[in-house]
Amino acid sequence: MARDERELARGRWPACLLGLALALLSVGGAADEDALVVLSWGGAYERAQRAALFAPYTAATGRPVTVRQYDGGLAALRGAVADGEVPWDLIDMTRSEAMAACAEGLLEPLSPKLLALAPDGTPAEADFLPGAIGRCAITHSIFATVVAYRTDAFPGRRPTRIGDLFDQRRFPGPRALQDTPAVNLEWALLSYRVPREELYRLLSTRRGLDLAWERLDTLDEIRWWQAGDTPSRLLAEGEVVMASGYNGRFFDAMVHRGVPIEILWDGQVQEHETWAIPRGAPHPEAAREFLRFATTAERLADLARHIPYGPARRSAAVRVTTHPESGVDMRLHIPTHPLNAERAVTKDETWYARTRSRIQALFRDWLEAREAQ
Amino acid sequence: MIAAGVLRCFRPSNAFQVPHRRFPMPTRIARRLARRDAPAYTLRMKSLFAATHSGRAPLAVVRFLGLVLLGAVIGAVAALVAVGFVAAVLWLNDLLLISPRSRMMFDHPGLLLVITVAVPTLGGLAVGVVHLTIPERRPHTPADAIAAVQTRRGRLPARAGGLSALSALISLGSGASVGQYGPLVHLGATLGSLSARLLRLGRSEDNVTIACGVAAAIATAFNAPLAGIVFAHEVMLRHYALRAFAPVAAAALVGHVIAANVLQRGALFHVADTAVPRPWEFIAFLAIGGLGALVAGAYMGTLLGVTRLARRLPLAAPLRPALAGALLGLTALWVPDILGMGQETLRFATIAGAFGSGELLLVLVLKIAATGLCLGMGFGGGVFSPALVIGTLFGALCGTLVGQLSGAPQETFVFYAVCGMVAVTAPVIGAPLTSLLIVFELTGSYALTTAALASVTLASPIAAQLFGRSLFDIQLVERGLDLSAGRGRAVLRGTPVTEQLSHEGVTLRPQTPVAEAVTALCRARHGEGYLVDEAGRYRGCVSLADLEAAREATQGDTGKVQRVDRIAPLARRVLGPDASLWDAMAALEDVTGEALPVVDAEGAFLGVVFESSITRAYLAHGDELRREEHGTG
Repeated sequence: MARDERELARGRWPACLLGLALALLSVGGAADEDALVVLSWGGAYERAQRAALFAPYTAATGRPVTVRQYDGGLAALRGAVADGEVPWDLIDMTRSEAMAACAEGLLEPLSPKLLALAPDGTPAEADFLPGAIGRCAITHSIFATVVAYRTDAFPGRRPTRIGDLFDQRRFPGPRALQDTPAVNLEWALLSYRVPREELYRLLSTRRGLDLAWERLDTLDEIRWWQAGDTPSRLLAEGEVVMASGYNGRFFDAMVHRGVPIEILWDGQVQEHETWAIPRGAPHPEAAREFLRFATTAERLADLARHIPYGPARRSAAVRVTTHPESGVDMRLHIPTHPLNAERAVTKDETWYARTRSRIQALFRDWLEAREAQ
Repeated sequence: MIAAGVLRCFRPSNAFQVPHRRFPMPTRIARRLARRDAPAYTLRMKSLFAATHSGRAPLAVVRFLGLVLLGAVIGAVAALVAVGFVAAVLWLNDLLLISPRSRMMFDHPGLLLVITVAVPTLGGLAVGVVHLTIPERRPHTPADAIAAVQTRRGRLPARAGGLSALSALISLGSGASVGQYGPLVHLGATLGSLSARLLRLGRSEDNVTIACGVAAAIATAFNAPLAGIVFAHEVMLRHYALRAFAPVAAAALVGHVIAANVLQRGALFHVADTAVPRPWEFIAFLAIGGLGALVAGAYMGTLLGVTRLARRLPLAAPLRPALAGALLGLTALWVPDILGMGQETLRFATIAGAFGSGELLLVLVLKIAATGLCLGMGFGGGVFSPALVIGTLFGALCGTLVGQLSGAPQETFVFYAVCGMVAVTAPVIGAPLTSLLIVFELTGSYALTTAALASVTLASPIAAQLFGRSLFDIQLVERGLDLSAGRGRAVLRGTPVTEQLSHEGVTLRPQTPVAEAVTALCRARHGEGYLVDEAGRYRGCVSLADLEAAREATQGDTGKVQRVDRIAPLARRVLGPDASLWDAMAALEDVTGEALPVVDAEGAFLGVVFESSITRAYLAHGDELRREEHGTG
């Protein structure tokens, strides 16, 4: 989904970020003075946001919304704040980047009082999922990296635990995994049935990492993917029988393209997507007003009808209904649905932020050793 | 003639009429009691007390319900404090780069090495300084709470309790190889005792509130209410009484509710749901029990040995923990598994293949050494969490060896780990049932609990035979409190006989003429007099009968005045001022007479303790214990 596109762009044209930012700045000058400028991820994600958030907001307030696209990263924001010319009112950010930006003082602090009550009067703090209300950013949706498998690959049985990803005796066939240590390490250690709460503590020890590498080593054929659309393609073409990937992509392949796959929700790794207001935003009051509007239970539920991301509010999650075009019941496809989230892992973004390069290096070493064999 | 003279003195009352006696008590019965030959008399006492209790039923119910409510309140406070304590330890571990996660996230390898050694060292120094402010110069532990309950002294000091918790917090926070459950138990006990004191409740209630605090602490820390209740009975109260059960259960329940809603942690162990041990494996579990008792013995022996050794160390007491911290830090550079409580090590030990068998042995030995070093040299903290780790490593070692010998798949590996864990922890804390219940409540697995039962069946009795009921009991024996014969003796030994000290006894100067002495004794209606010189020193004891005999013998000889110190004194044992009721009862074994004199080390006469007072105090203590253990209200 949006995130996939960001990673795709980052991989192929890392230099175009600055150009894009400059282009955005120049377009910004031409926009309506009163318009709210939102920076988001483009693609299907943006289409869903337009339908569920931006159009209803304009209808309710009369204020138009201008959307700009980006692929994540803080460089443009850092530059804009330093120059004192911030062109955006709101930014759709991953929580890890929002945390970093907040620590650097690039974002406006947000009060939890800003948020609307749940329809039944529950205060926002009790209604939002744990960790959703940050100092400078409010989580609106939760997306997940999951395993999907071909329904025709294992006659008479289906994987039910994340450990089955590594069980080649009962579930034979090649696997596709993302070419990163993240998520793979989590799943490898979860296959020893350690509690998810202890995952990152255990991965912080040499012993835990060794156990994880050992488990990954038991897979005899791994296709490594980088672009977010690869896993669903590999599954559709029958090149692999199990693959990791983003839940939105798999939903799309399953529902809209009829690929015979199913999602194994056990061990799904969840990440937060947030709204943040940059420091020095042109319309800070309107931005707060939008943030309140876009995080009401009704709007969040509507967004989840367009794209299978988990609403960050419990009151919104119970309001999710069917996809407006296909009529598919979206509740069963969002990562935070109780049936799906029973053993979900929340990605420890702080841990990755501090260890990324070392874990990456260890991953490369392991890959080299594996390929040398 | 002599007899007539003596009887003349006694006739008016025809019984002992010492002012503080409420009812007559013939010496014969008291002597029978001293020989523990008392059933007939006990029945009389019981009916006497039962009579005073009847007719107050509604009030008793209200009092009892109040105690249950108090238990719930103590449970809530102790649980919240326990939650706060656990959170503070985790926070300190993250801050001070002890927890693996924080160590991993710290990207300066050189600095990390320095910090690994510096943090436990400085932590040890801080702990040493904190201990200077505690009267005993050492942190209080569950052993102190056990002593307070078993001697019915109660009244755990709040300040020392708070400082001990602080010492444990620093120790745990700076990565010492100590446990957190001991400090939580003692903190709960202190809070319970404090609330009894604030409400001006009696000693009996004080003991119940201590048990409430303890139960809540265990219920919260393990999220295991049944284990909390059983621990309070098995380790603290050491008897089962309905009146204590309800408040303790209320406290544990409240603790559990708070833990379930505030602390969200993964289970301590996890079991694959399909594995069931084969029948022959139960033999292995039994063997693990027997060997586990020896491992527990090695653990306790190391700890006590280092404690003794540390006293002889030419190093100021506050510096000892710092030395232990430095040694621990240096070893941790090589084997980081021994740092802190070792929760990660515990988890890995339940995973087959996470350690090689050589590695298991190494970490096992080093963990025992590290814990002995830390606790022996004066860090504050518990013995339970390290025992969990040591036991699990030991069980994992057994599981690995069995796997290698039998060649069987390691599906039941976790059974071995848990059996080892129970086999070591149960003897150390002296709580086989609690250990079993912890396994049951944490895993919800009946198969695992029965396997653990096999181990504990052998481990606890063997360790009790070889070493003692628990580490706490061994430590208490070293401090002079022997609980091996139960609470009755401990209470008597803890009660100073000076509580019964009386100044009603007749004192005579050594030079007093015999005739004067007879008159003085008859006036006071006593049969014995105590010779005390001008300097106040005790010179012996004479009986009225002997005085009368001497008077008779010299009656015709008017010119000669005989002094009382010329008369052969009675063979009478004396008691020191620090003698206990137990000592007094022992002294009575070979005394026929009225009272025992109490004399201090310089020979100064302090007063007497009447034989009947000793007997009555003995009966009163026995009755209080009986009411505590068998009463309902």
